[in-house]
Amino acid sequence: MAEPEPMEEATVREPLDLIRLSLDERIYVKLRGEREIRGRLHAYDQHLNMILGDVEETMTTVEIDDETYEEIIKTQKRTIPFLFVRGDGVILISPPLRS
Amino acid sequence: MLFYSYFKTLVGKEVTVELKNDLAITGVLHSVDQYLNIKLTSTRVVDEAKYPHMMSVRNCFIRGSVVRYVHLPPGSVDVEILHDATRREAKGG
Amino acid sequence: MAAPLPLGGGAPPPQPGPLGPPQLDYPPPGTALVEELDKKLLIQLRDGRKIIGVLRSFDQFANLVLEEAVERIIVGARYSDVPLGMYLLRGENLVLMGQLDPNHEAPPGMEAVSEAAIREALRAEREEARIKGTMRGRFDFLELE
Repeated sequence: MAEPEPMEEATVREPLDLIRLSLDERIYVKLRGEREIRGRLHAYDQHLNMILGDVEETMTTVEIDDETYEEIIKTQKRTIPFLFVRGDGVILISPPLRS
Repeated sequence: MLFYSYFKTLVGKEVTVELKNDLAITGVLHSVDQYLNIKLTSTRVVDEAKYPHMMSVRNCFIRGSVVRYVHLPPGSVDVEILHDATRREAKGG
Repeated sequence: MAAPLPLGGGAPPPQPGPLGPPQLDYPPPGTALVEELDKKLLIQLRDGRKIIGVLRSFDQFANLVLEEAVERIIVGARYSDVPLGMYLLRGENLVLMGQLDPNHEAPPGMEAVSEAAIREALRAEREEARIKGTMRGRFDFLELE
């Protein structure tokens, strides 16, 4: 028979506990290569590999104008229904804001 | 082993693998191993003009470490099963 | 004499199964490339180079031994396959590898040229990029005035 779980469910003892509490919540992920994504967290593992749903990705690129040689900062957005994200590209994860 | 097990359920389905060098390849998932190396068949490159050498190959082995994203077919994502599997894995399963 | 087999050869094909508790039916490590043995492959490296060769051996890191290796250099619509010999590639540098279509080994619609011609084309391409870079550098300098 399963014992009732002690208080551990809602406490944060180690970094990955923060993600455990974000399962099925919308999170923000900053990735290498000037990419950011927002999406609902459906799965993760200890490497921070993840599956996110209803993903919005924002990519920032700097282009040089051929004529004026000015730097043009562009942001591109796209949406993806379900996305596997490999953990080695993750810089930070932020859980949803709680009121 | 969570993602290895999950990817095995996608064998035979079409996925798009986006690499860290921005190359994106669509193909049928043929196999995956425990390093998340991926084999695709019937491949096509999203931006073929930029990667002409890829026109000579129709299947490929992608080293897991160079993958940035895998776009998953919406019909093969059961979020309840993923949540349960993730909770089990987090408990040290 | 039997041909040497890679470690863990002869693994059963991976079986798709439902997500569940940890499964133990995965193949032994490093067997993913058995089907590619003795095939002519195109390998893309992390620095963008493309190597073609016949796969003779591999291990769990995807270190590869290639026989009759060539580097395929493509500039615009021209290409050249430059002979390299027997190569051992370190797995870390590998991005992807695919079997060459035996009927279409050459990139379609491209003209095969000599190694000297492709090196010259490569040099011209780099020079053009460099000039673009310096033009921009000069402009930045003028802006400071």
